[in-house]
Amino acid sequence: MKIALQNIHCNHEGYSRLIDLAAQTASLFLDDIEIDMRNVAWIDANMCAPLGAILYRAAREINSVRLTNIPPTVEAVLCKNGFLCNYGWPRKMDTYGSTIEYKRFEPKDDRYFADYIEKQMIGKGIPEMSPGLLKKFRESIYEIFSNAVIHSQTKQGIFSCGQYFYKKNRLDFSVVDLGDGIRRTILERRGLDLPAEEAINWALEGKNTTKAGPIPGGLGLKLLREFIVKNEGRIQIVSDSGYWELYNGKVTTKSFADPFPGTVVTIEINTADSKSYRLVSEVRPEDIF
Amino acid sequence: MNRQIILMVFEVVGSGICVSSDDGQKVHDQIAAALREGEKVKLSFLNIESLTSAFLNAAVGQLYGAFSEETIKGSLSVADMEQEDLVLLKRVVETAKEYFSDPDRFKKAREEALEERDDD
Repeated sequence: MKIALQNIHCNHEGYSRLIDLAAQTASLFLDDIEIDMRNVAWIDANMCAPLGAILYRAAREINSVRLTNIPPTVEAVLCKNGFLCNYGWPRKMDTYGSTIEYKRFEPKDDRYFADYIEKQMIGKGIPEMSPGLLKKFRESIYEIFSNAVIHSQTKQGIFSCGQYFYKKNRLDFSVVDLGDGIRRTILERRGLDLPAEEAINWALEGKNTTKAGPIPGGLGLKLLREFIVKNEGRIQIVSDSGYWELYNGKVTTKSFADPFPGTVVTIEINTADSKSYRLVSEVRPEDIF
Repeated sequence: MNRQIILMVFEVVGSGICVSSDDGQKVHDQIAAALREGEKVKLSFLNIESLTSAFLNAAVGQLYGAFSEETIKGSLSVADMEQEDLVLLKRVVETAKEYFSDPDRFKKAREEALEERDDD
């Protein structure tokens, strides 16, 4: 089967195109899938995470996946972040250190993931964030990863990729799972049948949690939201057929015609943020419990 | 009885990056075993670089499903934590208290904790 891909920007339209790709490849088995990229003049590098997840899922159905006619500029970006290494291309040097490598992790790989973040963020010296911001940023990414592990029940792993834009002082990073999705998790664990975009909103509101066992939960995405608001960054969450975005303190929700086969969490960090992440009011150790 | 055991989180996890719920579970099991023996526990976060709510929920939050707030307050203390991490832990504790204020959840968690103890 030959599928023509178009530009993939990190927005509703870009996700929508990837969802179309997921729908077209969903039922293929033992097929030859050619992704024709001649019309792809731009792909936001972090979108390699959801693209890679969809292609990984297709390849697990014993399909042969080939990417063809990739324009040289796009090819250069996708070779630098290691995405095309999965499809037969050699890796290219990332001279400016602006890529955060495309990787797939098993759910048990939390330490490997942490090591990857340390190497990609600290080792390469990108970006020039204040120590307080860097700590919050790292922990936010870890929250997304552990949230994906705990809630998605994914068996096919977790995918991540990012890109740093020096001139814009922005860092985009996506984490993707091929798990149950937020809508289904809320339905199964809480009995709430919500439209997918409202389900995402529910998961980010107040004290809502789908946890029911002996370990409490429900904080991870709220902490992420608080940090992004303070940082004046952006969060996009795509799960099932829902799209949820927080930018400039405003939440926008939309839906897609078909579901994404899991959940994508993308954060955009304002790396020029010089705010102090030290807290005004102190908590004493003896007041914790 | 009533010694104070110092539990080094770094030593239990084997790393300064405390991300996963599974690693939190290891810390929880050590604390819970000591509390069941009536011991006091000081949890040291020395050399811990990163913490997530998932880790702390498993390590500390779930204690509220098996032990009373009074027992935890009287027997558990923390040390060597940065201010930001103390704030995170405080929120985890508040969330756990709220979570287990639902009697059904508390009953279920209590039963599971007792089953686990019988299995030891």
